[in-house]
Amino acid sequence: MRKSHLSDDRLLEVCLDQASFAAEQQHLESCPACAERGTHLARMLADVTDVTVAEADAAFGADRLAKQRARILQRLELDGRSGRVITFPASHPHGPSLRARPRMRWIAGAAAAGLVIGILADHVAHVVPSRRGAPTQIALQPTGATLQAVSTSMSEEELLGLLEVAIEGTGGASLGPLDDLTPRVWEVAAQ
Amino acid sequence: MSRTTPRRMQSPATAAAPAPAAPLHRDSEVAAEVKALFVSGKRDAARERFAELVTLLQRRAARIAYQYLRDVHDADEAVQDAFVKVFTHIATYREALPFEVWFTRILVNRCLDLQKARSRRLRWTVSPSPSAQAPTPEPAAPQQTPEERLLSSERGRRIMAAVEQLPERQRLVFTLCQIAEQSTNEVSQTLGVSEATVRVHLFRAVRKLRGLLARER
Repeated sequence: MRKSHLSDDRLLEVCLDQASFAAEQQHLESCPACAERGTHLARMLADVTDVTVAEADAAFGADRLAKQRARILQRLELDGRSGRVITFPASHPHGPSLRARPRMRWIAGAAAAGLVIGILADHVAHVVPSRRGAPTQIALQPTGATLQAVSTSMSEEELLGLLEVAIEGTGGASLGPLDDLTPRVWEVAAQ
Repeated sequence: MSRTTPRRMQSPATAAAPAPAAPLHRDSEVAAEVKALFVSGKRDAARERFAELVTLLQRRAARIAYQYLRDVHDADEAVQDAFVKVFTHIATYREALPFEVWFTRILVNRCLDLQKARSRRLRWTVSPSPSAQAPTPEPAAPQQTPEERLLSSERGRRIMAAVEQLPERQRLVFTLCQIAEQSTNEVSQTLGVSEATVRVHLFRAVRKLRGLLARER
């Protein structure tokens, strides 16, 4: 009878846990159709197992396993020994440092702050007019006839581009005095 | 410990009677000896004895780690770390538990750690294109090993692709049951979940595999 055949899921359960399904086992012994389906399922599982094992064994050949084993034993041997303490290389004993000179450190900090303020001021000078609503016309060269339109919305890339221009171009030149005030490392070291 | 589930799937119609209670496994015996040596301060002797354990379990460990991590270098690292950790903590090994289960638990935990670390790494790197990531199948060479021949066959490729599609938890349970040949009871001890949960994961894994492989037929 067709109705008495095991469902696919039931057959799978029997396949995975044969001990718990005595009644189904009896059915399989008396039903060739279900027995064939069960055999097919078991063969599929065996194939999957064979392939996955073969895949791992192909990745871990005899050479790799031998190296791995040697490495494990080597690590175990090294773990048993007390570690040799290597001292961290110390700084030059005679060289002056910023840490040793609080006043120099303060000047360097102030110069860095000035640099940041300069960049921000330059950025604000470009951004603030554009926040006023409609696109504005900015005369870059008052004596010239050409005017350049500047978009009000500024993307991140545009902002980064402006920063680069500020640093490398004319904006950078305006920061020259601040840069001059900043002591060089070799100057500090010489003092 | 007796095994309630057959190690390899058999045809249900030809299932053999449950095996008699198995004696203590060789790996558990050796582990007990290593522990005794270690505890008595004979560390060098313990290490030499431990080499036999490595030989006994190494291939199986590599299969589990490789199936879990899908990367030969990560799997290599996981296996090495697991063995080193087991040796350094051998004094805490309880002989009541099969050594294989204890070792596998440590190995799986190490695999999990490595996988988390890899996920963190990948978050900050550009992932390669799928075509670059997937290994290109090599043409069949006359000197291929049986494993390589199996893998390069159409059937082998389809099976590998199907296994790859299993959710992580199902693949782990399937690997431990089918490849590591652990019983559902042992897998539940290894993963720290109930045996019923293991059965559910295993059932779903096999059902999914059956569906995937039947669809492609």
